[in-house]
Amino acid sequence: MRLNTRTLNIAAALLTGASLLSFSGAALAGAGESGHGHNTAAIGEPAKASAAKRTVQVEMGDNFYKPESIPVKAGETVRFVVKNKGEFLHEFNIGTAAMHAEHQRQMAMMMEHGMLTATGVNQKMMNMDHSKMPGMGHSMKHDDPNSVLVGPGETKELTWKFTKDAALEFACNIPGHYESGMVGTIDVKR
Amino acid sequence: MHPTSRGFSRRDALKLAGAAGVAGLVTAYPGRISFAATDQTLDLAIERTRITIDGHTSRGIAIGGSIPAPTLRWREGQEVVIHVTNRLNEPTSIHWHGLLLQGVMDGAPGFNGFAPIHPGETYTYHFKLRQAGTYWYHSHSAGQEQEGMYGAIVIEPAERDPVRADQDYVMLLSDHTTESPDAVLRKLKVSEGYYNNNKRTLVDFFRDAQRDGLGATVTDRLDWAEMRMDATDLADVTGYQFLVNGKGPRDNWTALYKPGERVRLRIINGSAMTIFDVRIPGLAMTVVAADGQNVAPVKVDEFRMGVGETYDVVVIPQGDKPFTVFAEPIDRTGFARATLAVRDGLEGAIPERRPRAVLTMADMGMAHGGMAHGGMDHGAMAGMDHGAMAGMNHGAMPGMDHSSMAGMDHGSMPGMNNPGGMGSKDQATGWADAGTPPGAKALSYADLKSLTKAKDLREPAHEIEVRLTGMMSRYIWTLNGRKFDEGDPIRVAYGDRVRIRFVNETMMAHPMHLHGMFMELENGQKDRLPRKHVVLVPPGKTMSVQLTADEPGEWPFHCHLLYHMASGMMTRFIVERRTASL
Repeated sequence: MRLNTRTLNIAAALLTGASLLSFSGAALAGAGESGHGHNTAAIGEPAKASAAKRTVQVEMGDNFYKPESIPVKAGETVRFVVKNKGEFLHEFNIGTAAMHAEHQRQMAMMMEHGMLTATGVNQKMMNMDHSKMPGMGHSMKHDDPNSVLVGPGETKELTWKFTKDAALEFACNIPGHYESGMVGTIDVKR
Repeated sequence: MHPTSRGFSRRDALKLAGAAGVAGLVTAYPGRISFAATDQTLDLAIERTRITIDGHTSRGIAIGGSIPAPTLRWREGQEVVIHVTNRLNEPTSIHWHGLLLQGVMDGAPGFNGFAPIHPGETYTYHFKLRQAGTYWYHSHSAGQEQEGMYGAIVIEPAERDPVRADQDYVMLLSDHTTESPDAVLRKLKVSEGYYNNNKRTLVDFFRDAQRDGLGATVTDRLDWAEMRMDATDLADVTGYQFLVNGKGPRDNWTALYKPGERVRLRIINGSAMTIFDVRIPGLAMTVVAADGQNVAPVKVDEFRMGVGETYDVVVIPQGDKPFTVFAEPIDRTGFARATLAVRDGLEGAIPERRPRAVLTMADMGMAHGGMAHGGMDHGAMAGMDHGAMAGMNHGAMPGMDHSSMAGMDHGSMPGMNNPGGMGSKDQATGWADAGTPPGAKALSYADLKSLTKAKDLREPAHEIEVRLTGMMSRYIWTLNGRKFDEGDPIRVAYGDRVRIRFVNETMMAHPMHLHGMFMELENGQKDRLPRKHVVLVPPGKTMSVQLTADEPGEWPFHCHLLYHMASGMMTRFIVERRTASL
């Protein structure tokens, strides 16, 4: 489970949700079928919090981030501490615009199926076997580290190593949030 | 004290307001706020002008030199002063639709001590902006709103805007006629007169059904149904041109974007009589605000908007092909059109026009009434647009046994939304049917969820029933069966939490507008009921709202269909202090 282990202890079900949610995005980035971290190679890789020399505080509101752009260097490992000051469930997901677009469709589906609500994860629904759900593709037993779901009042962490130059976004893919501007840029430069 | 049985000219409408003023029904509420500083000062002249739409020029009235009037861009917390000068030869007024303000500044003649602005006079409005969002302003005198006296208000929030956009455009929808509002009213009166003996209301129907039994009533109503199923059920004024920011479909008002940008469209229905269905084929819209108030974003393909309502949507157009913003009136007598494009001069395709909806028994709140489907089917057929009949299955008609239909189980009636098995593709049925294609999402009121929690969660202390009523035969529209100022006003104690229950007993939708306070629409969103200044109540339906009566004053409460208001569909909503000092 890598970096998610710590948070898992606190809210296992929520994180399971996060893993599931971010899987498809990761799959899009990589070519592999299994949902492990290496699929996100195109955008970087997860890292241990202790490996990060820099911590970036990100604040979530309804429905926006502060700040809205985070410059990073290729090869840099950044620890993101994400605090949700809003009243709704939000996501912090690192990916390309295309990955987010794909992920939004899945999030919408999860909302429709009641796995997610506006304010949190429906654990019962989320723990059901959704592997047969069309479009979902896989079960949720994946550990995809490029996303965290943060409930109202919660703080979560995510540490990421940005490997190469890329135009990335951190985004909330809860239905409607990305569209109304809950997205920021991560310019990865040498 | 008021004219009763005659028609309603512009002058009569004015008289109603004026008489109310001199009759001493009005209490002036002294200002609660003293204005120390002014952040914005503005001069607006009201004068006759000419407007050119798609190459045709006609008369109009401009505020601030244009139709629509200039967009007022303000910031929450500012104090604004607006000097309004009347250069017409008739009284006028400006009402700030949706703004929370001191009663006299609300600008409705005959209410809160506000007197009309007479020719040559200048009136100074002065108020503090207590809210953010998209609103509008318009005349509250006679038919002037119809003649072009409308404009947009955009108030930036003092705090961070929860919506981020790269482009921000107002799209003000309106309906324009080359006829004067007087002429329109005269015409309505005369044409309605033709149907004097036939037009019946829903209440009549119930009464007759009770007295004569359903079967007899249904038979009796065959002609009634026929008559009621004409276009006037959806919109009773036709011959309009439909405008976006004062431009006709051929003028093609255009908003520019760069691919991938977030474009915020502040869509305002500033028309006199037109309910629009709005869509942008090929582009999903994320609704982020309704009536100026932020809502949890909801992604839709189309939405219906009543007169006076506003919706803010965000779109993210990709690529460089133009997108058509298409707004069809629900009677489908034309369309308003604008374009989103990467440069001027581009045109997107005009989408296929949607069929006009035919009302059904469900629209009269009788879906399970166990009656009248035979009659309704008949009516729907007779009243149909014959242009759409080509595809109809004539074979199904002779076999219809109307006599046996009264007692049917309607729950299992497959033909319910498809009268007589005909015209299913060409004919939408039921008021709510906007012709939305399968798989597309149309916004429903139930989707609207306030972005912020309600401040007052008390259960309403009492309920006020407002029946939306009308006497079709004389084109008199009323509330609780009473014309404006013939019935009692609604009185609510300051600070009370109340519920208003709208019971629409007519066959038309009525956009009910309350001045001075937001209504929280009871749509199931618990502590996040959306805050609305206009609630569109569908024909035959009941809807309820809650509100906290925290704005003392005497507020207009009316149907925002201009000619309905002018013919009497208005009352006073009085919020009074408990103390005797009032």
